[in-house]
Amino acid sequence: MSSHRAATVAFDHVTKRYSGTGSGLRGAVEDLCIEVPAGKICVLVGPSGCGKTTSLKMVNRLIEPTSGRILIDGLDAAARDVTELRRSIGYVIQQVGLFPHQTVGENVATVPRLLGWAEDRRRERSDELLTLVGLDPAVQRGRYPSQLSGGERQRVGVARALAADPPLMLMDEPFGAVDPIVRERLQNEFLRLQADLAKTILFVTHDIDEAIKMGDLVAVMEVGGKLAQFGTPDEILANPASDFVARFVGADRGLKRLALTRVEALNLRPAVTARVGDDSSHARQRILTDPFEYLLLVDAGSRPIGWIGRRQVPSSGALTEAMASAMSPLFDRRTTLKDALAMLIDAEVQVGIVVDDRGAVQGLVTADEITAFGRRETFDAGATSG
Amino acid sequence: MIRWDVIQGNLPLIGAKLLEHLALTLVAVVGGLAISGLAVMLIRDRPRIVALVTGFFSVVYTIPSLALLAFLVPLTHLTFLTAEIALVGYTLFILTRNLLAGLASVPRDALEAADGMGYGRTRRLCQVELPLALPLIVAGIRIATVTTIGLVMVTALIGFGGLGQVMLRGYNFRNDTLVLVGFVLTVTLGLIADLGLGWLGRAITPWSRARAG
Repeated sequence: MSSHRAATVAFDHVTKRYSGTGSGLRGAVEDLCIEVPAGKICVLVGPSGCGKTTSLKMVNRLIEPTSGRILIDGLDAAARDVTELRRSIGYVIQQVGLFPHQTVGENVATVPRLLGWAEDRRRERSDELLTLVGLDPAVQRGRYPSQLSGGERQRVGVARALAADPPLMLMDEPFGAVDPIVRERLQNEFLRLQADLAKTILFVTHDIDEAIKMGDLVAVMEVGGKLAQFGTPDEILANPASDFVARFVGADRGLKRLALTRVEALNLRPAVTARVGDDSSHARQRILTDPFEYLLLVDAGSRPIGWIGRRQVPSSGALTEAMASAMSPLFDRRTTLKDALAMLIDAEVQVGIVVDDRGAVQGLVTADEITAFGRRETFDAGATSG
Repeated sequence: MIRWDVIQGNLPLIGAKLLEHLALTLVAVVGGLAISGLAVMLIRDRPRIVALVTGFFSVVYTIPSLALLAFLVPLTHLTFLTAEIALVGYTLFILTRNLLAGLASVPRDALEAADGMGYGRTRRLCQVELPLALPLIVAGIRIATVTTIGLVMVTALIGFGGLGQVMLRGYNFRNDTLVLVGFVLTVTLGLIADLGLGWLGRAITPWSRARAG
């Protein structure tokens, strides 16, 4: 659908000062230097008044910097015609800013209209985008914004920003005005879209959880418009550059890191398994030497049935399903460590079973291993070491 | 009491005065709209001047109509211009106030989105601000029109006045029928203008009635 155009963005010693005392610090930006590679989401996050929105608005020149340059694909934004620049950048704001007097279809086609596209091309594009963001064009294109739910409005806002296939999108708290459940759905949908579109996106939020979730890169800013730290979400959670960043990401940053990592990063502990119908005495022999005192009973397809305690394994005869007592939570390789830990805390057995797509046992994970993993300096070492 | 023969005999006069009434009203409202529109476009970004200008218009609005005419006649004599200066003067306060309120009612986020997407100033005004200000602008035109239809009567004192002339003539000649005709036609005109402009306002702002469900 889309040409995979994406731009690089670089803030080159960008400063914005406001005159006046007292409130002069609010929204100011001090010597900001960041580089965002093409196709990445860079989240600007920080407390209110830290200059994150100012930074965003300097990109499409709704605010002009006091000094410094913003380079889009290496070109100074200040040197470009301002309306042409803005039409080439997608813009989504928290209150969405749909035009109340235009239908959904007309709203989505705003920038194509400004660019002078023919009417049927505009309509076609607008229908295509409504479909892309999960709205039915036949139902929605003729409605007015006042007839939409909050979530639908946000979707239309995203569709409108994408209309002219901009290589760069600016999103200012785009999911801030909807309730947490709708927000999470919109975030997930947007990440799925972005996996296809691969736009370069500057994304502003005050919510560190949203920043960690949405960002390939995260720029943490503090009041006064100073960049406190710039890096991947994991780098920021693992090694906060200052007390401010540590406090801002929160005392639960270990847990947040676990939310970023999936079970596949762990070295799985092998399970002692036996199939239904196997000889008990043989199985008993194997479990006697294993420090973990339980035998995992599996079916013919290696799918787990349940645990049999060492003492419950009979000395002779065949193993039956009835012998299995307790069962563990099941994870797959994509389960996040945070979810895995949460399931283990609730489970009767503090060991999780990792299964593959067919449900066959791959290995075991314990809660201790997950928490130990969360304390490591970097996750990469854990993921690659033998 | 009503003498139909009087009405029949005066039909040409009544028709002519009805047209004059309409013309005086139309010129006053259109002229008022042009002046207040121009004024608002020039001063809207300067709050102090806005306060000054609306203050001045509101003072004009409070001058009794007879006093205003008496003040104007020595300057511009018994002319159409005199009548219109007075009539336009009274529309300015209503129209300016509603124009400003209409523009102020445009959601800020819609303006920010328009700027961010690359609307120029003029295009933003014509395609975003004015359409969204329409409900309040039309409401102002409606009030101004109905008010002017009433005020036109007073200009009968300087030889205009539309249907006011019909009433004045009826009064001078002790002819109750003419008084009644002037009265009924004026009220009817006001009602038609009120209902018609109300309908027009709704017709050109379909979005303002669209609600969820």
